[in-house]
Amino acid sequence: MAKSLRLILMYLRHNLMSALAYRVAFMIQIVGMMLNNVMLLFFWTVLFNRLPTLNGWGLEGVITIYAIVAFGYGVAVVVFGNTFHVAEVIAKGDLDYYLALPADPLTHLLVSRMSIAGWGDLFFGLLIYCIALPAAWRHLPLFLFLGLLSGLVFVAFNVLVGSLVFWLGQAQNLSSQLGNALLTFSLYPIDIFPGVVRVLLYVLIPAAFVGSIPAKLLMEFNTFQLLELTIFVIVLCYVARLLFMFGLRRYESGNLVTARG
Amino acid sequence: MSLLSRYWFVSRISARQQWAYRSEVLVRSVSTVLFMGIFVALWRTAFSVSQSTELSGYSLVDMLWYLAMTETVALSSSRAFQEISDAVKAGDLAYTLTRPMAYPFLQVANSLGSSAPRFLINLVTASAVVAVGVGLGAGSLGGALAFLVMAWLALLLDALIAVLIGMLAFWLEEVLPIYWIYQKLLFTVGGLFLPLEFFPGWLQRLSQWLPFRFITNAPARAFVAFSFAEVLPMVAGQLVYIGVLLAVVSLVWKIARRRLVLHGG
Repeated sequence: MAKSLRLILMYLRHNLMSALAYRVAFMIQIVGMMLNNVMLLFFWTVLFNRLPTLNGWGLEGVITIYAIVAFGYGVAVVVFGNTFHVAEVIAKGDLDYYLALPADPLTHLLVSRMSIAGWGDLFFGLLIYCIALPAAWRHLPLFLFLGLLSGLVFVAFNVLVGSLVFWLGQAQNLSSQLGNALLTFSLYPIDIFPGVVRVLLYVLIPAAFVGSIPAKLLMEFNTFQLLELTIFVIVLCYVARLLFMFGLRRYESGNLVTARG
Repeated sequence: MSLLSRYWFVSRISARQQWAYRSEVLVRSVSTVLFMGIFVALWRTAFSVSQSTELSGYSLVDMLWYLAMTETVALSSSRAFQEISDAVKAGDLAYTLTRPMAYPFLQVANSLGSSAPRFLINLVTASAVVAVGVGLGAGSLGGALAFLVMAWLALLLDALIAVLIGMLAFWLEEVLPIYWIYQKLLFTVGGLFLPLEFFPGWLQRLSQWLPFRFITNAPARAFVAFSFAEVLPMVAGQLVYIGVLLAVVSLVWKIARRRLVLHGG
């Protein structure tokens, strides 16, 4: 555990230093992503000007969802930048590199890339939470914790669907569609969907656990629900890891010779 | 071969290439199903909460068909900026300079060709989801024809903007964030997620003069509320912006070529 944590921190530092080598591109991507996210909120601002609430959700609730999802997504792709590339790495036979080194292969695979634009998501989530929501500062530790849980759901779910490649072969497209579906659905309040879709968003694509449930907890705290959410995330991470390790037994290496800088 | 027929030839080849990968495009149309499914749920809830049959002049059916059309155009839009930016960074432009066509317009033709099969698949998918969700009952034959013509002009306008963004790579290290901003301008002032009639007055007036509404809002609006009086000025607006962008792209390419440094090897 301590060894994995050290690996994560070392890679975070190393990836950040490489990104900072191109400072202008780094800054453009962060500012660009923040602007991009601000403009996404435009839709809800106009809609809630017309309607007071949507099945119990108002503008404040939607901003809370955006803040948590953006922060969680940002953490996921900054620290575990290969989250959305697991399927691609397995299908191309690029796991060889990680298997040959004395570090945990899954952790190593996940941390070996950093999304620079992810910093923009991370800062955006934190900023709109602190600026747009009243009494935000009092709940900041809870926000950070819930954001981390959201980030872990992103990572675990993408490892789960990425690991399908071990059995299905070329399933990168399916895996990326499912990963994108999690992100897309997580940005909408769960209560706007009809019953069947709502069940799917709790069970099949756990979008409710990324956006709506943490947002509800921030607005109306409940210890028992927080505990439930934390246990769900731990179990999801464990199952994702188990599936990846199980799939590794079926992994077939490629014969591609590549050089890594 | 005349100049226009050369570009037409490039478009046809790109369309055929894209069609060869139609199964991949079909898998990608899952995104269309997803977006349209969310919109159906969201707007059903919004109309039931508002307890009215119309919001800003749109019924539920009109609204969802409008969104099906804006999504069809947006999901078929150009990614030419990526190819141009990669070519500028890698120095691959050298190979294209010998061709008997101007590079930016070659990319526009390429982009229009590859958009065509995606447009067809997205149109069928989005229409199917909305038809299942709220039924038929919006649009008309005139509206459908106007939509097809205006969608083609919209994709041409979009391709010209994408090429312009790609050429910024001559000056900027990274052009992707510029594309994100452009995309979000389509989402907002382009009327991709909401018809312009929903905006406050000052924003409606501003949006009407910007090029973004001519890409997403104009074709979709023509489909759900067809009238010659409304369609003709919008087509004229599309043509004016296409003309302006053709001139700007030519000018930027002229300046950019002076910055081009080719290394041997």
